Amino acid sequence: MTTAPQLDIPPRPRTWPRRALIAGAVLVVTVLTTTPALGGVEIDLDSIARNWGNGASRIAMLFQPDWSILPRTWEPMLETLEMALIGTAVSAALAIPLSLWAARPTNPGNPLRMAVRFVLNVVRAVPDLVYATILVAMVGVGALPGIITLVLFDLGIVVKLVSEAIDSSDSSYMEAGRAAGGTQTQINRVTALPQAWPAFASQVLYSLELNVRVSAILGLVGAGGIGRLIDEVRGFYRYDALSTIILLLLVVVILIEVASNYLRKRLR
Amino acid sequence: MTATTTTRAATGALQIPVRPRSWPVRLAWAAVAVAIVAAFWDLGIEWSKLASLPSDLAHYTRLMFSDPDWSKLPEALYQTWRSVAMAWTGALLGVVLSTLLGIPAAQGVGPLWVRLPLRWVFAVIRAVPEVVIAIIILTVTGLTPFTGALALAIGGIGTHAKWTYETIESVPQGTSEAVRASGGNVLEVARWGLWPAASPELMSLGLYRFEINVRTSAILGLIGVGGIGDMLTGYTQYREWDTVGVLIIVVIVVTMSIDAVSGRIRRRIMEGAKARDLDRSA
Repeated sequence: MTTAPQLDIPPRPRTWPRRALIAGAVLVVTVLTTTPALGGVEIDLDSIARNWGNGASRIAMLFQPDWSILPRTWEPMLETLEMALIGTAVSAALAIPLSLWAARPTNPGNPLRMAVRFVLNVVRAVPDLVYATILVAMVGVGALPGIITLVLFDLGIVVKLVSEAIDSSDSSYMEAGRAAGGTQTQINRVTALPQAWPAFASQVLYSLELNVRVSAILGLVGAGGIGRLIDEVRGFYRYDALSTIILLLLVVVILIEVASNYLRKRLR
Repeated sequence: MTATTTTRAATGALQIPVRPRSWPVRLAWAAVAVAIVAAFWDLGIEWSKLASLPSDLAHYTRLMFSDPDWSKLPEALYQTWRSVAMAWTGALLGVVLSTLLGIPAAQGVGPLWVRLPLRWVFAVIRAVPEVVIAIIILTVTGLTPFTGALALAIGGIGTHAKWTYETIESVPQGTSEAVRASGGNVLEVARWGLWPAASPELMSLGLYRFEINVRTSAILGLIGVGGIGDMLTGYTQYREWDTVGVLIIVVIVVTMSIDAVSGRIRRRIMEGAKARDLDRSA
């Protein structure tokens, strides 16, 4: 038996302590969050078995959509779409100056940029339906609180992503503008805006998609749109009608997604 | 400035090319403008309300934040913890389900007859809001945080499984081919060819899912599955604004802290140990 040629394999890096630490951390958080005594989620698989008969009949209703509700869906659905469109348009108009303020190359002055970013971080931290709930209590039931919610929600997303796109964009054009003696406003208008335009348009389209989804549920708290109808049929446990609404929503969302994907491809 | 341009153009010293104009594009813009105006018109918003909105806003802001009722803070923190627990359980369940379903949906892993139906399922789930999923599930599990976690998990599949298969598809083919060439089977290709390249991104996306769920779990509270959203709806309906103020502050602080921590971890996962001399401050 010949001895195999000796190969010097470098020692494996010791990664297991770190891996164990990460796995341990995930495990600890998971255990904490699933301990009912500590306020965690009670994984109650028993209830699924117990209530299956009850739930199954309701879920079976989902597969027998009640088309008789369809005529009643047009108006709220239209309202949802209109709210989504207006929310997108208003937020797009507001997002242009805000994105320029929030990006470093277009707004080198530190304090205002930090202020805009901080306020938008705060705005983004509040979930959409929470705005809607509070605004409904403030200005009353209707489409107006819904639209304000959508505008706030969109501004958070669009300004963040567009200002990040400006931050990471090629700033040599802007330097050329500065070298030619342009003021910051002139530089922004002539170089930064055209450069940020594809990112901006793509984010606005994305926010339109999101808005249709969000405005579909705004009605649950009284902020107008198809959610009002969802709330109504769920109150009566009319899951067959709910199924029709979900299907309609599905068609609308997918149509808008397809259209926006097409437009976004054209933009590139 | 316009004067000099015209004189130059007239003398022919400098020909500025004509700006390209496209009629279809103009027409599309006009259509969008008409649609927006029509939407404004049709909604019939009471604009008088908008006029008084700034003063209303100032009024309610004062009610909420001038003298917040800090005695409600312990309960608010406890309810927030319940929401976060819901978000974490939902994220974990959702990531596991999405990984199991997302991998066969990736091109080069599953056959077409598996891929297409799976992608359809993801698209359908993406179109249904989490709240609606929760409304369906609560017939089985009742108004409990468990319902919320399940809704987050199932609702998460729509986007997360999509991200999973997109990540797997974006992995360079070289390593997988090498493993296959040296006789690896499907599992070995997945373990040695795909996993090392895709795992950082997948883990980072998993954490991101948790961040999203923290926000969504507060929303799910509005239909009564418990947590901070539940508490917030209650106090808003009773118009106890001093408590609502505390709740909003708690939501903002907790969400921003979780985002900050999770964002740091994600950057560490994606970029490796301490960035060398790159300016990441922006």
